[in-house]
Amino acid sequence: MGTTSHILLHIKLAWPSSPILIMAPGEKIKAKIKKNLPVTGPQAPTIKELMRWYCLNTNTHGCRRIVVSRGRLRRLLWVLFTLTAVALIFWHCALLISSFYTVSVSIKVHFQKLDFPAVTICNINPYKYSAVRDLLADLEQETRTALKNLYGFPENKSRKRREAESWTSAWEGTRPKFLKLVPLLAFSQDETSKARDFLTGRKRKVSGSIIHKASDVMHVHESKEVVGFQLCSNDTSKCAVYTFSSGVNAIQEWYKLHYMNIMAQVPLEKKINMSYSAEELLVTCFFDGMSCNARNFTLFHHPMYGNCYTFNNRENETILSTSMGGSEYGLQVILYINEEEYNPFLVSSTGAKVIVHRQDEYPFIEDIGTEIETAMATSIGMHLTESFKLSEPYSQCTEDGSDVPISNIYNAAYSLQICLHSCFQTKMVEKCGCAQYSQPLPPAANYCNYQQHPNWMYCYYQLHQAFVREELGCQSVCREACSFKEWTLTTSLAQWPSEVSEKWLLPILTWDQGQQIKKKLNKTDLAKLLIFYKDLNQRSIMESPANSIEMLLSNFGGQLGLWMSCSVVCVIEIIEVFFIDSFSIIARRQWHKAKEWWARRHAPPGPQGQDNLGLDIDDDLPTFTSALRLPPAPGTEVPGTPPPRYNTLRLERAFSDQLTDTQMPAES
Amino acid sequence: MKGEQHEEQGLGPDPAAPPQPKEEEEALIEFHRSYRDLFQFFCNNTTIHGAIRLVCSQHNRMKTAFWAVLWLCAFGMMYWQFGQLFGEYFSYPVSLNINLNSDKLVFPAVTICTLNPYRYTQIKEELEELDRITEQTLYDLYKYNSSSTLGTHPRGRRDLREPWPHPLQRLWAPAPPPGARGVRSAASSVRDNNPQVNRKDWKVGFQLCNRNKSDCFYQTYSSGVDAVREWYRFHYINILSRLRDTSPSSEEDMLDNFIFACRFNQASCNQANYSHFHHPIYGNCYTFNGKNNSNLWMSSMPGIKNGLSLTLRTEQNDFIPLLSTVTGARVMVHGQDEPAFMDDGGFNLRPGVETSISMRKEALDRLGGDYGDCTKNGSEVPVENLYLTKYTQQVCIHSCFQDSMIKECGCAYIFYPLPKNAEFCDYRKHNSWGYCYYKLQDAFSSDRLGCFTKCRKPCSVTSYQLSAGYSRWPSVTSQDWIFQMLSRQNNYTINNKRNGVAKLNIFFKELNYKTNSESPSVTMATLLSNLGSQWSLWFGSSVLSVVEMAELIFDLLVITFLMLLRRFRSRYWSPGRGGRGAQEVASTPASSLPSHFCPHSTSPPDPATSPALMAPPPAYATLGPCPSPSNLVEASSSAYTLGEP
Repeated sequence: MGTTSHILLHIKLAWPSSPILIMAPGEKIKAKIKKNLPVTGPQAPTIKELMRWYCLNTNTHGCRRIVVSRGRLRRLLWVLFTLTAVALIFWHCALLISSFYTVSVSIKVHFQKLDFPAVTICNINPYKYSAVRDLLADLEQETRTALKNLYGFPENKSRKRREAESWTSAWEGTRPKFLKLVPLLAFSQDETSKARDFLTGRKRKVSGSIIHKASDVMHVHESKEVVGFQLCSNDTSKCAVYTFSSGVNAIQEWYKLHYMNIMAQVPLEKKINMSYSAEELLVTCFFDGMSCNARNFTLFHHPMYGNCYTFNNRENETILSTSMGGSEYGLQVILYINEEEYNPFLVSSTGAKVIVHRQDEYPFIEDIGTEIETAMATSIGMHLTESFKLSEPYSQCTEDGSDVPISNIYNAAYSLQICLHSCFQTKMVEKCGCAQYSQPLPPAANYCNYQQHPNWMYCYYQLHQAFVREELGCQSVCREACSFKEWTLTTSLAQWPSEVSEKWLLPILTWDQGQQIKKKLNKTDLAKLLIFYKDLNQRSIMESPANSIEMLLSNFGGQLGLWMSCSVVCVIEIIEVFFIDSFSIIARRQWHKAKEWWARRHAPPGPQGQDNLGLDIDDDLPTFTSALRLPPAPGTEVPGTPPPRYNTLRLERAFSDQLTDTQMPAES
Repeated sequence: MKGEQHEEQGLGPDPAAPPQPKEEEEALIEFHRSYRDLFQFFCNNTTIHGAIRLVCSQHNRMKTAFWAVLWLCAFGMMYWQFGQLFGEYFSYPVSLNINLNSDKLVFPAVTICTLNPYRYTQIKEELEELDRITEQTLYDLYKYNSSSTLGTHPRGRRDLREPWPHPLQRLWAPAPPPGARGVRSAASSVRDNNPQVNRKDWKVGFQLCNRNKSDCFYQTYSSGVDAVREWYRFHYINILSRLRDTSPSSEEDMLDNFIFACRFNQASCNQANYSHFHHPIYGNCYTFNGKNNSNLWMSSMPGIKNGLSLTLRTEQNDFIPLLSTVTGARVMVHGQDEPAFMDDGGFNLRPGVETSISMRKEALDRLGGDYGDCTKNGSEVPVENLYLTKYTQQVCIHSCFQDSMIKECGCAYIFYPLPKNAEFCDYRKHNSWGYCYYKLQDAFSSDRLGCFTKCRKPCSVTSYQLSAGYSRWPSVTSQDWIFQMLSRQNNYTINNKRNGVAKLNIFFKELNYKTNSESPSVTMATLLSNLGSQWSLWFGSSVLSVVEMAELIFDLLVITFLMLLRRFRSRYWSPGRGGRGAQEVASTPASSLPSHFCPHSTSPPDPATSPALMAPPPAYATLGPCPSPSNLVEASSSAYTLGEP
């Protein structure tokens, strides 16, 4: 038979190098089997044998060809093909994994009865000037003095102002505390270190860094003085000078600074009383074709805008909704803007501010309110868009802000803006010791005022600069909210009331408001506002995971199948062969080496030792099972007949079964 | 060739030195000795599921046929699926992603224009005659004596000078043919720009003719106001092109007079924050935060306080009366590197009103290349960018129009930039440019110029959605001191009251911005995964199986070539040994074929079924890797005779 001849041939070839021939017949058989039956599997004596066995038996494509092919180039090519396929599998699987956390966006348009949003309306002027005048008298007086000194124009001639002048003339003798505290200064353009004090007219030296140096385009006269004020820290060694391109801005900012100081000391109750009442502000109200009144509005006191009124707040636990789109079915109000009661220095424009927001959202009137002009009808059409984002790991958004390390000082649902403001306010309390007036008060903090915190203003301006430069870390800590509703507003204007309707409209409204106001309404005192849904379509933008785990697995399967026709079982097989079996073989080798080393150390030196060594080398190829069973005591040296004889017999039977499947011997 | 060499070596005719079949000495590439050998090897080792059954079950025709059908079905299914998958991939589908980002935003560039190109006093000399003619025309047509507004010139001096071209005329609705009219002009006589809204049966327009007056048409308007304005504008353009060289003086003075106060993010603006250009219609324009701003403004918070706030003068004392019919200022928000097209995207500000414009940013990213028709930087668009800015579709269309204008009319339209080697239109030099321009405009709007197809969309677009709120400014109580102050500081004339000032706030409404981006919905990885799934499903094979097939084909070719070579050799070198060799071959196969080699082909192959295998070659197979010397000789000798019968 051919097989026997092959075996013989191999034995011949092996002759010079191995001492098989001088071995016992049992050893010979074992060696034969070892050489000729590649189907050794985990019992393979060497790693190479194991690999060969694996390649012949695996279902993974490519491997078998490496072994089966004849010719070195062919083999090499097959190795290359196989490795390329493996590399491609890894590459594409990596691509698939890296794109796993992508989202797909679906946009749905619902047509349904929509909940009407909360609408907050404020007069731009916070407090009735007649009511706050007592508090601000000194300040007004000094502002006028400053204006007079600064620009040299006389007090105006209007009747009201005259009254004011005579009224404030009583204060002539008092010490001007505000100008002393933060003096308004005029800087000449060329020498910024010198400034003229308005109060005394004396020149004074200004040290410290000038924050907004007015190297401006904005001044007209060549030798124009620039107006600004100086803020110093406690020890007055560090000062910041703020200059403004326009005197209007300088005066307003200066006034506002002191105004906030004064108002910070006024209790909330008093402030609410000084501001407009709902009945005063809202002359008429219509919603969804039904009449409504001031009771449908809830009070919300804003530090800079005074009393604001929120319509459709969840006060009585029902959210109103509109059944139809169009201006007839929205909110229609006529606002009474009493221009006479405006604070001349604090606010310079006339009108109201309106903001559309969610019921549980804080209305940021000062940031994103829409202005309403007097003597105009402003129609605001809304379009609702809802957005839902997926949170971690798809994006960085937060569901309710609980995982953001900033305590929410607003009594409202989390939003990015709330977080930023809260962060700033918290930092302000930390650094400056007091809270800024235009934002809510954090627990255990007071609003800043000059009496208690003399240098808060310097601190605030420094902090604000740091905030803008993102040095406070607020922008990195605050994350956006995952779901939000937004109303896209479209504004249009019309002249209101018309020339002809004015004649009957104004008297009627005057009569209506008879109890509240004691004067005849003028058309510039009124503003009409219509807020409505343009249509009842609600657009929701929803994110959903683009990939599911099944998709990922099937894509993996596709890649494995495409390149190598591999499967999970193949992968397990690879793990078994390449890791468990290989390691067991290596471990066995090492074990034998250790044993051999032990034996050499303990065995007496001599020619017999050589013999034993040779036997031991040959003996390090027993099957795996025997190796496992081989924890012989280090001392027990068995040079003669080794035990594996029986094992080989047992194994032989097992191999003969497999032999027909894998026609390997023909090749070797 | 290399393989062949080794083959030759292996089959070397020298029996004395047989190659040792050790693994170390294995040839670089080895070939099977025969087709049969090859197919047996293939059948044993292939990994294509159906192929084993098909190729290797030769002994049963029924089975072969059955497997062939199955194989073909699976093959068809797989390629149908492949077609679908490839079709999907090569249609380049995109999926739209909407990202809601929130981070610090770069404040866009804001351009503000005075709405008055020149101070009337400066340009009065040039416009003097035009105004006089206009005045005369107004009187002739409408019996309106405008001397009260314009009247610096006594009427009646018209006859002293030559009449201006293209006079404004009154036309009756069924247009009468006044004067010399071409034969062809009858069809397209009156071009009606507006539907006739007035009850009267006459319109106002002016005549435009081509160079040799052979073709004329009337540009008509239903409203006299429109007609006069357009007519005035038409002449103004001509005057302007002559005036072009003398640029308006004292821009700095203009800015100081135009913008009273400027603040961004609670800090004053300075010189470095704006740039100036002059627009022939909208006047002096100032771009804040433009591309040459040293450090761009950033908005870290939404709200008015963190935006741009401007106080503007809107006084109309020296407006050109017939050109500027709008009062206020014009503002536009655009990207830093985009030009400001005040015509296309402007926003007018009313005087006496504080306008608060809230912005919301939106970005759109398209996938270029195969996925959509868009251009990354406009370099591949066949239109030269006349604006030295980033590519936008608007830039391209304007450039395209200017290009056609120069080609068709020989001169450049004044509102678009001047290309090299061209001059602006003026009917003293180009007497028919008006005719040409209106014709071109018509062709342009009906896209006969191909500008809209030539100009592709840019791949990434940033847009700002604006919404405005208004409040009266300054308020009654504060206006006294504000006006006083402005007059002291900025030479404001108090008598103008509220009409001379306007306030503008531009700010981000929220820092969230939406990014609509496209991404390929089928990537290469998913396509391959899908192909692999299909392949595994129907065939259970892989790319490596295809390589196996390729190898099989390669082997077949090489073996055929070798056999032919050998046959050729045997015929010419040793023709006498053929018969003996053939007999030997016939005698050897049964004994030397290893029975375990191919378990399926235990029966001797039928030469009729497989003509390719008709010469039973198994002698070589057994000799394969480890032939004994004697065998080798026999084998080689028999190999020569293979082709003999």
